[in-house]
This record gives sequence, C-alpha cells and structure tokens, in this order.
Amino acid sequence: MLFHVDTDNGIPIYEQIARQVKFAVANSALQVGEHVPSVREMATRLAVNPNTVARAYRELQAEGVLVPIRGTGLAVTPEAPRICNDDRLELIRQRLRSVLAEARRSELGDDEIRQLFDLELSSLPAITAESAPATSSK
Amino acid sequence: MRPVVHLDNVTKRYPNVTALENVSLEIPPGVVCALLGANGAGKTTAIRILLGLEQVDSGTASVLGIDSSTGGLEIRSRVGYVAERPTLYDWMTVEEIGWFAAGFYPLGYAETYNRYIRRFGLDARKRIRELSKGMRAKVALSLSLAHSPDLLILDEPTSGLDALVRREFLESMVDVAAEGRSVLLSSHQVAEVERVADMVAILLGGKLVCVERLEDLKRTTREVVVTLPDATTPPPSMPGQVLAHVPFAHEHVWMVRDLDEARLAEVCRNAGPYTVRSPGLEDILLALLREYRSPAGAARSRLDERVESTPVTPPQ
Repeated sequence: MLFHVDTDNGIPIYEQIARQVKFAVANSALQVGEHVPSVREMATRLAVNPNTVARAYRELQAEGVLVPIRGTGLAVTPEAPRICNDDRLELIRQRLRSVLAEARRSELGDDEIRQLFDLELSSLPAITAESAPATSSK
Repeated sequence: MRPVVHLDNVTKRYPNVTALENVSLEIPPGVVCALLGANGAGKTTAIRILLGLEQVDSGTASVLGIDSSTGGLEIRSRVGYVAERPTLYDWMTVEEIGWFAAGFYPLGYAETYNRYIRRFGLDARKRIRELSKGMRAKVALSLSLAHSPDLLILDEPTSGLDALVRREFLESMVDVAAEGRSVLLSSHQVAEVERVADMVAILLGGKLVCVERLEDLKRTTREVVVTLPDATTPPPSMPGQVLAHVPFAHEHVWMVRDLDEARLAEVCRNAGPYTVRSPGLEDILLALLREYRSPAGAARSRLDERVESTPVTPPQ
C-alpha cells in the first residue's frame, strides 16, 4: 500500500487517508482480515498529525470498513470490499458529474460531450486482470 | 487540564518596535500548535519569552505551569528546544556533545541521544564543524529529544534544509505528538503546518489575530469569487465575516468566515456569477497578510475586532 497526502487539493487530509484505505480495499491491495498500519506508523509514514489518522480510522470504523481486533489493531471487515467498491463507484460518478457540469457551462452540446467521452474511453489501454489501475486519491 | 504553554496578555517592547502586543495563548497538552506569521511578526520573541530568555514588559508567561520570568532554567531543562540557528560547540564530535549535554539531564539521556543519532544516520565520530547544515540540525533535534520532553519547541526548524531532512524532522515531530506530548513550532512552511498542526496561532505585527483549531479555521472559511458584468456595478456585500477582499477589475475575491451560502445566492442574483471554494491554509494566511499590509486602515481595525471576538478555543 502506498499512501500519500496532498494539502493543496482542497480535500481534508483525514478524508484523503480514508479514501485511500477504501481504494486499497477496492483494489484488493488490502484484503479482508488484514490490518491497516497503526495510527502512529501511518502518521509517521505520511508525516501528518496522528489525530488526523485517528479520525480517518474512526470514520472507517463507523462505516464498517475497519473493525478493532482486541489488542492487535484494526482489520478490514468482510463487508469492506462491497462498501469500498460502492464508494469508489459513487466517487467516480461524482467526478463525472462535475466534469459534465463544466462541459455544460462551456456550452458543449450533448453530442459533442458524448464524442469527447467516447474518444477518451477508446484511447484507454484495455483492461486486463493484472493492469488494474493503482491506488489513487485524486 | 493545565495548559503546557500559557501566555496571558503579554506585551514586549524593544526600543524601536513593539514585538508583542497583548498576546494571549493557551496550548493544551498533547497538541501540535503552529505559530505562523510574516518575518518579524513576533514568533521568535514569543518563544524566547516562554523559555525565560527574554522578560515581558507586561502580562505573564508560563510553560508546564512554571513561570517563565523566574523559572527559565527549570523550563529549559524540561522542554526540548531547537533554535532556528542552533549554537553547538563545533570542536566536539557528535558523540561528545551528547555526553556533554547528558550532564544536565537525568540518567538515560546519552543512550536515547545515541539512538536518535543512529536513526538519523549521523556519524558519531564526526566533529560538529564538519557537518552539513542538515546534519547539524539533526544533532540539535537529537539533543532536544533525548530527555523525552513534555513539550518540544521548534523555531523554524526546517528553514534552509533539503526535502529529505525536512521530512525526517516532520516524522520525528509526528512521533513526539503520537506519544501524547506537545509541540510548539514556528514555521513558514505552510504545507508542512497543514499536515501536522492541530491548532494554529497567527501573529501579525506582534498581535495574535487568530488562535484556532486548524480544522475549524478551514471548515468555516470560504473563498468567494464574483464576476461583475462591468466595473461600475457595485460589489455585493458578503453575508459573513470578511477577512479579505481583493478586487481584480470587475472580478472580486473575498475570504469569508461563516459564509451564509443561501444569502450569498440572493445577493449575487443581481451582481453576477460566483464560485465558492474551500481555501487551504496558505490561501487563508496570504489573505490575512495581504489585508494587513494593505494601506486600508479599515481592514486593520477589522482584524483588531476579530481578536477580541475570537475566544481561545483549544482542541478538545
């Protein structure tokens, strides 16, 4: 798992961390039953305030993605992959929506938007099991 | 809980300048507090007063419950302090300076110091004068951490250091915070502060204009850009507390706290299209600094009102 934090993108840091954990679960980089790094380890690795990491973990627990295992730390729940996949889909939809809104503001017609979309889609490399996109928060 | 750092109405004047004016600040235990402000805003003076290296003209200062004006020596033995330009005996080796400092602290200091030295990859046999700026800074940090202080004070710890050393400094700081100890740092590296700070204290010209949890400051501040149809249309009045207002021809940019977005939509109906975004700490700080430096006296008095109306709200 490679996490990173960007202070310029307007997304609160705890949310960036929570999102990256979810992406890692959705990508199977983090699997059911596996532990996330401790608050201290994650905070030191990312050089962010430990309270920020603790908050991200609290939210992930509240959403049912992580569960405390007595004495050992926080583990990925069996429900997490489904939750994280749904979340990822929702996030992608949101981004798509904001791009579409921008396209509308620039007075592009529906056909032009579709053309752009198809062009970009067809220029993507074909998906194979091994080349699944890496974790990203942006 | 007793604050680890307490400034109460502190004023400090030098012959030609008022360095601090009625500054009050409380830092609760376990908090990383960043002191921000332009050069000469009074950050170093505040730190030196806390450590008992300077005396206040009025008000009181204390650290870990010890009065700074009389207990400087005890304070300096209990906190870790890294000055902006640490003075070290440069004829000593890295190891010797650890032994030397150990004489002032309880047992176990030298062992912990040597652990930090190894962790930072420093050569114990090298003389201080042979070290690069980054390595010297690491020695100073190791010396200030080796007695496990309850409070770590860093005065622009990373200025002039390369990216890797800065990162190592940040990691050490986070480690201190993760153990529940407190950190007070002054810095110009806003992006770093944004990562590690729980609370920020912003000094402008010797006055504290903002003491707040970083999260609250960011959550309640918005940047509004309104594009007016022409230069003659008067800009709308912002429904919220205006921190800064910068007009660019007929585009106006505001930094606003506690913005009422529903009312903004109303007031902009006749004015023009607008966008609202959540600014980062750097944008907020720049807006405050610019507004302060601008000749508009009105802006100054607005900031002054803010000081009185903003109670010190430490993180939970």
